[in-house]
Amino acid sequence: MANFFPRWTNVLPFKIAICALSLAGGVVAAFTYYATPKTLVVGYQPAQPIPFSHRIHVEQVGLDCRYCHSFADVSGHSNVPTSNTCWNCHQHVQKDSPKLQPLRDRMNEKHPDYGKPIEWVRIHKTPDYVYFNHAAHLNRGISCQSCHGRVDQMEVVYQDQNLSMGWCLECHREPEKHLRPLEEVFNLEYDPEEFLAAHPTEGVKTTEELGKKLKEQWQVKPPVSCAACHH
Amino acid sequence: MSKRIWQHPELPADETTVSWRGVGQLENTAEFREWLEREFPRGAAEMADAEDAETSRRSFLKLMGASTALAGFGMAACRRPESHILPYAKAPEWVIPGKATYYASSFPRAFGATPLVVTTFEGRPTKLGPNTLHPDQAGTDSFAQASVLDLYSPGRSTTVMQGGKPAKRADFETVFAGLAKDGGAKIGLVFGHDDSPTRARLLKDIKGKFTAAKAYAYEALEGEAVGLFGDGVRMVADFKVADRIVALDCDFTGLDPVGPVTAFFDRRKPEGKAYENKADAASMNRLYAVETAFSITGGMADHRLRVKPSQVFAVAAALLAELGDTTSAAGAPAVDDKIRTWVATLAKDLTANRGRSMVVVGSRLPKAVHLVAALINARLDAIGEGKPLQALATEATGLGKLTDLIADLNSGAIEHVLFFTPSNPAYDAPADAGFTAALAKAKTSIHFGPRRDATAHACTWHVPASHYLESWADARSATGAYTIVQPMILPLYPDCASEIEVLSGLLDPEGKLITGEGADGAPSPALAAVRKTFEGLAGTTLEAWKKLLRDGFLAGSKYAAATPAPATDLASAMAALPKAGELEIIFATDHSVYDGRWIDNGWLQEAPDPLSKVSWDNVALIAPKTAKELGLYDEEPALETSTAAKPEGGEGQDRKARIIAIKVGGNEIRAAVQIGFGQAEGTIYLPLGYGQGFNADDELGRETMNQAHVGDVGVNTGFDAYPLRTLAAGYYAALDGKPQDTGVKYSIAAVQEHHSMYGRALAREISTAEDKKKGDFAHQLAGVKKQGMDSHMPPNISLYKSVDPKGQPLLSDTVHQWGMAIDLSACSGCNACLVACQAENNIPIVGKEQLAKGREMHWIRMDRYFAQQKEDKDGDYLAMVPQPVACVQCEAAPCETVCPVNATVHTEDGLNAMAYNRCIGTRYCANNCPYKARRFNFFDYNKRNPLIAHNLNWGPLGETQVGTAPHLQRNPNVSVRMRGVMEKCTYCVQRLKDARIRQKRRQKVESLGTGDSLAVTMGDDNLRIAVDSVKVACQEACPSEAISFGNLLDGEQSRMGRAKALERNYDLLNYIGTRPRTSYIARVKNPNPDMPDTKFVGKATIHMH
Repeated sequence: MANFFPRWTNVLPFKIAICALSLAGGVVAAFTYYATPKTLVVGYQPAQPIPFSHRIHVEQVGLDCRYCHSFADVSGHSNVPTSNTCWNCHQHVQKDSPKLQPLRDRMNEKHPDYGKPIEWVRIHKTPDYVYFNHAAHLNRGISCQSCHGRVDQMEVVYQDQNLSMGWCLECHREPEKHLRPLEEVFNLEYDPEEFLAAHPTEGVKTTEELGKKLKEQWQVKPPVSCAACHH
Repeated sequence: MSKRIWQHPELPADETTVSWRGVGQLENTAEFREWLEREFPRGAAEMADAEDAETSRRSFLKLMGASTALAGFGMAACRRPESHILPYAKAPEWVIPGKATYYASSFPRAFGATPLVVTTFEGRPTKLGPNTLHPDQAGTDSFAQASVLDLYSPGRSTTVMQGGKPAKRADFETVFAGLAKDGGAKIGLVFGHDDSPTRARLLKDIKGKFTAAKAYAYEALEGEAVGLFGDGVRMVADFKVADRIVALDCDFTGLDPVGPVTAFFDRRKPEGKAYENKADAASMNRLYAVETAFSITGGMADHRLRVKPSQVFAVAAALLAELGDTTSAAGAPAVDDKIRTWVATLAKDLTANRGRSMVVVGSRLPKAVHLVAALINARLDAIGEGKPLQALATEATGLGKLTDLIADLNSGAIEHVLFFTPSNPAYDAPADAGFTAALAKAKTSIHFGPRRDATAHACTWHVPASHYLESWADARSATGAYTIVQPMILPLYPDCASEIEVLSGLLDPEGKLITGEGADGAPSPALAAVRKTFEGLAGTTLEAWKKLLRDGFLAGSKYAAATPAPATDLASAMAALPKAGELEIIFATDHSVYDGRWIDNGWLQEAPDPLSKVSWDNVALIAPKTAKELGLYDEEPALETSTAAKPEGGEGQDRKARIIAIKVGGNEIRAAVQIGFGQAEGTIYLPLGYGQGFNADDELGRETMNQAHVGDVGVNTGFDAYPLRTLAAGYYAALDGKPQDTGVKYSIAAVQEHHSMYGRALAREISTAEDKKKGDFAHQLAGVKKQGMDSHMPPNISLYKSVDPKGQPLLSDTVHQWGMAIDLSACSGCNACLVACQAENNIPIVGKEQLAKGREMHWIRMDRYFAQQKEDKDGDYLAMVPQPVACVQCEAAPCETVCPVNATVHTEDGLNAMAYNRCIGTRYCANNCPYKARRFNFFDYNKRNPLIAHNLNWGPLGETQVGTAPHLQRNPNVSVRMRGVMEKCTYCVQRLKDARIRQKRRQKVESLGTGDSLAVTMGDDNLRIAVDSVKVACQEACPSEAISFGNLLDGEQSRMGRAKALERNYDLLNYIGTRPRTSYIARVKNPNPDMPDTKFVGKATIHMH
């Protein structure tokens, strides 16, 4: 009887197995690395319908976060400004800027886009099954900056932190690293060392000590059970 | 130490109570044991029939193919898809995105509007709660809770129809304008029995403009008391001052209100409304019920007499005679000795409490009963200011009845008729009234209604009605407080019109019908009309109007007192009594569809009937002995277990009921039959409102011509009993002959045996009366905690420590520890909590087929037990005990220890939390839950439509939920669960969290106010929410305030803390050592010691074994 399989086929299964295993291992390793929130979303910086610069509005105009995000410390959801909030100023300022054309169209009664919302592209997003409440954090001394970074210096907003569950828990376990005086929550230029120099406090030398003091004094006990964010 | 095996001890030999949930258990059948011993019924976890299995195997490969293809597309989705944030163009005042806004409104209905507070999210009404400021507030019932779903219902009518075919609104407007411009038009307007001051005012103007106009009021179950004591006069009860109440077939806590009912329940708690006093039997009221079948009110009664419906009059007459008036109702049929003794003792008790006792009568009983009751009440000095009953003059005057309308249509006095009534006369008018023939004579008939029902198709025009949450109106509550109906949202569909808008349109010189919003965003004309009415009552100041909108009612407004003047004499009323018969049928009001108007509401359809525990259908209930005599049941259910044959019907998905043919006055209908415990022998109890339309999927293959009259929810449900009703016998009638078994079987989805618990003394009951064995009230109170197994089980020693390895307590929150207490003394089993929970927590409906398999998703299971004393051989004095059971949040939760992925864990503040996104669906937790409080998403009920046959088995290829709006009702703070996930009650954790965050914000504002937040110290007291300031959905909805919820750390400052400190307080299945956070409070019956049945009362402690 003829030999259907030549001798070299004896090792073929091993070769295939090794290839398959290394391929699978590679896929898993690549997926683990590339598909984590850290690599997927940090730095996400989509183009917006209006190239709004936070930097200009904070540095040149001196706006507080809450002029536009007016309910961030009231509601769970931090609102983005309505068209008429923008229009308060921009009916007078930068009246001819082509960048603001979408806004003007929406405020122009004769334009077909009149009254429609501006479609801002969402950057910071938690999944549907996560309940995140802005007010709960801002009212307890966690600044915007802790999650959103130095938005005041961003020309175009990007995602600064990965917003993964592990990242949330880091802070829920050690809130002292991020706590700051309630007066400083919306001050993105806050520098704890400068603050301590200006407000000498007994027994507090470092940022961490300040956080510990506040945690103790305000009874900040961030929940780490599932129902804190999932219900 | 060996594993502890529970040996559930046998019942003590001298135990006198036999208790059961359904036929199966009473007989202790194998099937029932299976319900007990399994977490979910057999088959709940499997593909049911060959067809399903086939579908699944075939579709598996298809699905594989499809998902691979999708994965190919999906590779691009490593980067998450772009989504947008859409802010408002102009910020509406008061709306804070992400935060609920609350408005006062009310739900207008026949016996006074239900005052409500509506929760809206960005303009979407999502949840209704009672308006606790309102003088007539009495919680909510399941109808009020479910009414928000109707707004978004896929079965809702959205466009105008002409002659049953879709038509243009503009064409209708032309016809309408023609009508409105013709001052001589013979217009008839048919309203419901709700009372609206603006409607009354506009009606006067309309009668001025249209000289021939007439107005009528019609609702299918309006009963005979309407107008009996004078035009628009209504008897309203004040339960605060009623010490003794006799309910003559009157379900005043449920379907047949006679006054705000919370005050009645306050006096069912011997420690007082808020548990502030020591238990005092004298502070309780006493309820006597005379009825045919159990109503939820009858279940609450201290003494209950079961009689045939025709006998209720005889009992009333006997009571009148015992009270000294032997002449007025002399011709009444005699009662037997047993009843005479009962009535005589009752009469003594009533006389002893003269001025504080009253008789209330079911609104649908014949006039003669009402007239006799009026005589009794006069003798008891029950009527008048400060007395238990008051006659009040409503504004619903000068309205004709349905018979008047039919006569006017036939004579040509009315040529154009407009229907605003919530009922559906083409379907529900009495069979011999000749409504359809009369309607055909009208030149124009216009139906305004939310559904395209039979009347919508029978009329020349149908216009979709705005929901009450979409339109301006006003109403009167039970005692006549002027109450506003505020719109929360513009009509979802532009064709919709409201009653006030149409009446305003008729008054417009051009007959212009403006609905929703006028030109350029001008408000609806209904607003101007309502405001004008209000200004007539309270002046034109803006402050008064704003206060009305804020509070929801006008303080101090009420109906004027009236002098009742009977329109008929007793003798002629007695002559008009329906004939008694050997077998009698009651056409009952239904707990799910009422008179049929709610047939397309999925929440109500799925809520089990409090009595029969059947969902999605109505069944004819027959008492056990009668059923046996009629040959509908092979053997009478025996009291001793394990001897009787198993029911032929089967259980669960195999449960089939026999179909019987019932004949009354020559008309025959067919209906499924089930055993009704505690029902009078010789009676059939059949709820109305079902069987409005069938399609090709109908199990019995019924005629499909009315298919278009119902939506996806209501189609193929139940049996229509209206053809048996006549003008003369609208409530009960004598049967022609005997009901015949047709030999056909019909599937019934009944939840009564699903998720049964076993153990001793689940629901406990005691009595204020002294008992030979159990001692006096004080003894019985002290014995509550020792009932059942709790008396002889050794204390539990836990293997688990309550501290973590670092020595920190596991329940570490020192600010909040949540707890709940449910008072069975005040629970009537009305389902309001169950539906409220469904609305609050985004709980899906699963449909009849799934429900029969035990896959219902209700987080609250409303258990209903019957108990019979062994001495009570005939079962004359059965007790019915409802018990709502949701997750009890065990401190030592058995579910948590078995979860392989830690998806269910404890929170610091004592909740047994459920992380849906973590759950992988092993269902170990549900297997290990002794309370059977966990529910599993066997399918993607939220996304796929469970009402289409086999649709769920198609998975992602199945049809999605129908309609354009169902998702708008969802609570944005609660995850919508997907397939394969376990879920359960978590004490409305979203509400608790909201309350805590609000408190933190308050603290921040205070801290900033000090000028230096570094110097501020916050303690437990600052961060703790105000005592009892958060309410969970079930507690809020409860009309009887049976549910107390609060922070255990508030101690007895909290109502819940006081409730838990009561002697009556006990833990469910305490002996297994789970330390539940929800405790129950034993039911107290307050019987009359002289009554012959007192020895049977207050002993319905439920032992399941």
